[in-house]
Amino acid sequence: MKKANGTIRTSNSSMKRFGLTMLSPTFIVLLVMTAYPLFFTIFYGFTDYNLLKSPKRGTNFIGLENYADLISNQYFRQAVGNTVKFAIFAVIFEMVFGFLVALYVKSLKRFQKPMRTLLLLPYLLPTVTVALSWRMMLSPNYGIVNQVLTSLHLPVYNWFSDIKTAFWMLLVIDVWQNVPFVFLLLYAALQAVPMDQYEAARIDGAGGVRIMFDITIPNIKNSLALCALLRTIDSFRLFDKVNLLTGGGPANTTATITQYLYNFGIKTLDFGFGSAGAILMTLLVLILSSFYIRKALS
Amino acid sequence: MKKLLALVLALLMVASMAVVASAEAPTKMTLILRAGTYCEVIKACLPAFEAEHNVECEVMELSEGDLYSGISLDAMNPTGTYDLCMVDGSWMAEFTEYGVLANLSELGYELDEDIIPATTAICYVGEDVYPAPYYGNVTVLLYNKANVEAAGYTAETIESLDDVLAICQKAQEDGKKGFIYRGDSANNLVVDFMPILLSYGGWVIDENNQPIVNSDEFTAAVNAYLELIATGDAEVKDDLIASVDTGAGTMGIGWPGWYKPTADSTADYCALSGAAHAGDTAFNANVYGVWTIGVPANAPDKELSVALLSYLMDADVQLSTVEMGGVPCRYSSLQNEEVLATYPQYEVVCKALESGVYRPVIAEWTEFYTILGAELDNIVNGVKTVDQGLADAQTALEKLMA
Repeated sequence: MKKANGTIRTSNSSMKRFGLTMLSPTFIVLLVMTAYPLFFTIFYGFTDYNLLKSPKRGTNFIGLENYADLISNQYFRQAVGNTVKFAIFAVIFEMVFGFLVALYVKSLKRFQKPMRTLLLLPYLLPTVTVALSWRMMLSPNYGIVNQVLTSLHLPVYNWFSDIKTAFWMLLVIDVWQNVPFVFLLLYAALQAVPMDQYEAARIDGAGGVRIMFDITIPNIKNSLALCALLRTIDSFRLFDKVNLLTGGGPANTTATITQYLYNFGIKTLDFGFGSAGAILMTLLVLILSSFYIRKALS
Repeated sequence: MKKLLALVLALLMVASMAVVASAEAPTKMTLILRAGTYCEVIKACLPAFEAEHNVECEVMELSEGDLYSGISLDAMNPTGTYDLCMVDGSWMAEFTEYGVLANLSELGYELDEDIIPATTAICYVGEDVYPAPYYGNVTVLLYNKANVEAAGYTAETIESLDDVLAICQKAQEDGKKGFIYRGDSANNLVVDFMPILLSYGGWVIDENNQPIVNSDEFTAAVNAYLELIATGDAEVKDDLIASVDTGAGTMGIGWPGWYKPTADSTADYCALSGAAHAGDTAFNANVYGVWTIGVPANAPDKELSVALLSYLMDADVQLSTVEMGGVPCRYSSLQNEEVLATYPQYEVVCKALESGVYRPVIAEWTEFYTILGAELDNIVNGVKTVDQGLADAQTALEKLMA
């Protein structure tokens, strides 16, 4: 009996060892790629580390000075405001349009596949290509948009340099590029909605709107939450379009947190200051997305 | 026996191929350069050097911001990746103070007398040369010929900023855009404004490197700039060039590397007079954007790097770049009769280079222009008044320079 117990124990411990061995590659990758940079970002956030200057003058521990500077900085506060505003509008528009497009494509009797492919194209394009194409189209000199507006005797704008239009143009471009992502996720979710529920609703005499709110949306609510979460996180990280098209201007009206950190932390090689900003941004994203995460976990 | 013979022959062949390959394998050199004409002219000169020194050059073409961070990041390595780097004049103080660039004098390189003296001002630390001025970028006034003529002026009769304003206002009355400025980044906005500031006798720092951005001269220059840009629009570089070229826009601050005027081109450029009003003192108002070339302090083979730098700085090699849009900082190129016969604008460039002003040589320049540019952006977009914007800029810059 003792011998049998000993065999079971040996077998259990070797199973544990095997499990740990199997987990170790993932654990090491996570440690190197996530834990290590995260630790150093948190650490540098409390220092005045500058990539170029620190090797000569040293790195000093400055406590919460970077955080205090950030919070008291008017440009950072404006960038946070712009980012939150952008994320809210972008998520709302992308979710609404993506959902409507998904419903439309699902309702098609023919050409569903080619339509699906065509609709995905903006999402497949690299952001740099998207930004430069839009810049050409909206150029105040040779842009097709202003030419069309002029021929229709409508007012034209200097889209990316006008304080009234720059932010909204970035939003339009972002929505245009990311609606296909929402569409794809929701379209896939719509395929999983049981058809018999629709049939039963129709037999009961429910109209289109009733079916959408009582059957479609409840069935895909987890996908909607996931989609909104992913788009919120992504919208918060908006950088390339802003950097390429407006550089955060005019008058800081399009500056996002990432653009601010690029200008005042990365470009100037003040990685201590930049790290503190990155930590604040992560906290902000976590707070805002916690709603979705709670929803998804429940 | 046959098998053994075949094996021996095969081994001999492999060994000989390895020997030949190792003997002839070219040395790899990596150059990190500013994308655009600045880089294109260097690329065109490389094949002769590659053949002569049995090297293979890989060129990395980057935007200004990426170039700065690329050089800085590589400077942290004990042995660097880059053999030659292109450095903006405004980074010099930072790069020499923190040991990014190699001392060229110690490596046996000296600047010759053919190079326009004013352009070498930032290349020295004491008696030692660090980078060499390669591409003579200096701000010029880019203008549309027809629009200027329509206002009753020629390049020669533009004597002050008042004349520039009069031309732009006339263009605006005619339904065209007057002065086009670059408002797409802090750096562009600051550099665009600097020639106006210099014409008013102002500057951004005093002799003790302390900010003086709320001085009377600065305020007057900002007010004049606001009046000027009210006649036009903010546009990115390509749009600005297109605007002036087509005549949709009239004038803008540009760089020689942007536009290659010919006798029948619609646009041309001239040097700013440096006077704010007719009869005023004319200051040096042309701002240098000279691209220098240097050797990183951690370059893998500094001797070879200096050989490449010497080759690229050679008077004949530089003269050959003119056809491709090169703007050497050399009298022998810019005053060459054949060159002037084809490209008369080089006379203007030469004069502008002789009297240009470098951006402040301070290690904090990147932070400095970012702060100043942000406040100027607020002012030109009407978010802050001139006084408020400049006071805020002064406060932030004083903190930076403390």
